[in-house]
Amino acid sequence: MTKTQKQNLDNVVRYTLLTIWLLIVLFPLFWMVATSFKPDKDWLAWPPVYWSEEPTMSNYNNVWGGAMEHTETQYAQSIQKPFTALKNSTIISFISTFLSVSFGAFIAYGVSRYKVLSETRMFQLLMLRMVPPIVLVGPLSLYYTTIGLIDSLTGLIAIYFITTLPYAVWMTKSFIDEVPIELEQAAEIMGANRWTIITEVVFPVIRSGLLATFLFILILTWSEYLVAFILSKTDAVTLPVELAKYEGSSEGRVYGRQAALSVGITIPLIIVGITIRKHLARGFSFGMIRK
Amino acid sequence: MARSEIMLQRTKRYKKMVLFPLIASIMLILGPALILQLYLSFNYYSIYSEGWWASEWYALDIFKDVMTDERFHVAIIRSLGFALASTIGCFVIGFGLALLMYKNFRLQWFYYIIFIIPMLTVPIVIAYTAEMILYQKGPLNGILSSIVGRDMLIMWITNPDIALFTVVLMEIWNWAPFSFIIMMAGLASLPKEPVEAAQILGASRIKIFFEIQLPLLRPIIVLALVLRFLEAMAEFPKTWAIFQGGPGTSTETIPVLIYLNTWYYFDWSKAAAMSYIVMLMMVVIILTAINILQKENKRIAQVQAN
Repeated sequence: MTKTQKQNLDNVVRYTLLTIWLLIVLFPLFWMVATSFKPDKDWLAWPPVYWSEEPTMSNYNNVWGGAMEHTETQYAQSIQKPFTALKNSTIISFISTFLSVSFGAFIAYGVSRYKVLSETRMFQLLMLRMVPPIVLVGPLSLYYTTIGLIDSLTGLIAIYFITTLPYAVWMTKSFIDEVPIELEQAAEIMGANRWTIITEVVFPVIRSGLLATFLFILILTWSEYLVAFILSKTDAVTLPVELAKYEGSSEGRVYGRQAALSVGITIPLIIVGITIRKHLARGFSFGMIRK
Repeated sequence: MARSEIMLQRTKRYKKMVLFPLIASIMLILGPALILQLYLSFNYYSIYSEGWWASEWYALDIFKDVMTDERFHVAIIRSLGFALASTIGCFVIGFGLALLMYKNFRLQWFYYIIFIIPMLTVPIVIAYTAEMILYQKGPLNGILSSIVGRDMLIMWITNPDIALFTVVLMEIWNWAPFSFIIMMAGLASLPKEPVEAAQILGASRIKIFFEIQLPLLRPIIVLALVLRFLEAMAEFPKTWAIFQGGPGTSTETIPVLIYLNTWYYFDWSKAAAMSYIVMLMMVVIILTAINILQKENKRIAQVQAN
């Protein structure tokens, strides 16, 4: 074989394998979107219906248009409150992420410049993230019930703040480490105090990093299921928990509605994730991978 | 006062200030929950009691009960097996894709964007979507049947021998992107000179891979494996939403078993004792993992500095 032939063969193999995985990745997403436009008879048809011949918006209308006005579509249940869940998810994830990144950034600055946490302590901080939440949510729900934080936005914000802090500290530290110390020294000579140096020199330099950290943690918080599932009942229900409510007692799961809601939950997240794709490896590796 | 002394004081003050929210929230939120967990493991709490404070002292009986519970032992082994299998699956696929893709080629950006989508998808959404796809008369079997040319009606969900494997497949779909992006970054940061030198000397591609690239990548590989394994130990939404531990007890991993004991059997004390043991076990595993990461982190920094 000549070199070009070999290269061509390489390319064929490469594109074939990559395309197979591409199809595996896209198929479930396609199925979710397709189901959201299917009338109920097509949800579990055999042979499978890949794209309905009578596409319908009724699933979306039922979820987002208010179940009451669409009682002609069955499975309308008054316990479903997608708008409350949307509002809760937005408030909880934005506030807890904001708190996590801002406090995390100040801790990270301290670690990077003054070693306020030793290397060992920094690694111990990871425990907050790595211990499986299931071991503590039971007692936590009893404790929350006792102090009145159960089923409240505050309770969820607090726990998300704690569990995402390791990511916030590690990720922002990886950005702060890259800021040349000379910048700060120059500001110090000009008489800036530490607060000014941090907020007006360091943070502006790493603002794209801070934004990436914010969006990364937002993705994690928005998708979280277990803690929200256990610490919420009716008032503080988030979108992932709301999904489970599209289930009739006799009909089983209401797949079309679930798919319609799923599309709404997932698409914004995918868009956010793709915009920060260059920082995802840094985020998921706690800033240990920096490229 | 000397300048250095002032600096030292300032540093101390800063330290106190920034660590306060962290320590306060740990003490106010996690602390009481931890104490309550320990309390419940020694005092029998049932939903018929007036409240958790009115539980009955059982000394070590609850722990003994849990330690001899075979279902608990099996769940621990199942969880470890699940985490191991899905970690390896994610890594093999993620690394494989990264090896196919790390050299620049047309459409690289396109494949990269598509390949990261699964890890951006909400896990519970994956579970509900997968359930539709995995029904015995669902699209996956439909597609397999048309590829094979005869009816393939695999019981992905209802066969107890397959169910856990199905969860592993979902986990791999969900998290192969994690290994993929980390290994892409790792391969991109490898120094080019050793590979080029070996090529000039006539080394084969396989030899270059095993003797040059793989050793250089080792710290990053360890990182990808360790982090994924720890996350897989905590997996709950996908296992729970479709299977609730079933069929039978075939998908009863640690998180599912603790959940069942607490909210289905209302055996809070047993669940608390289990949680306590699992927590100790995880702390040991995590400390080992952290130890490994701390060592490898220095090497990763070296590789990245190139």
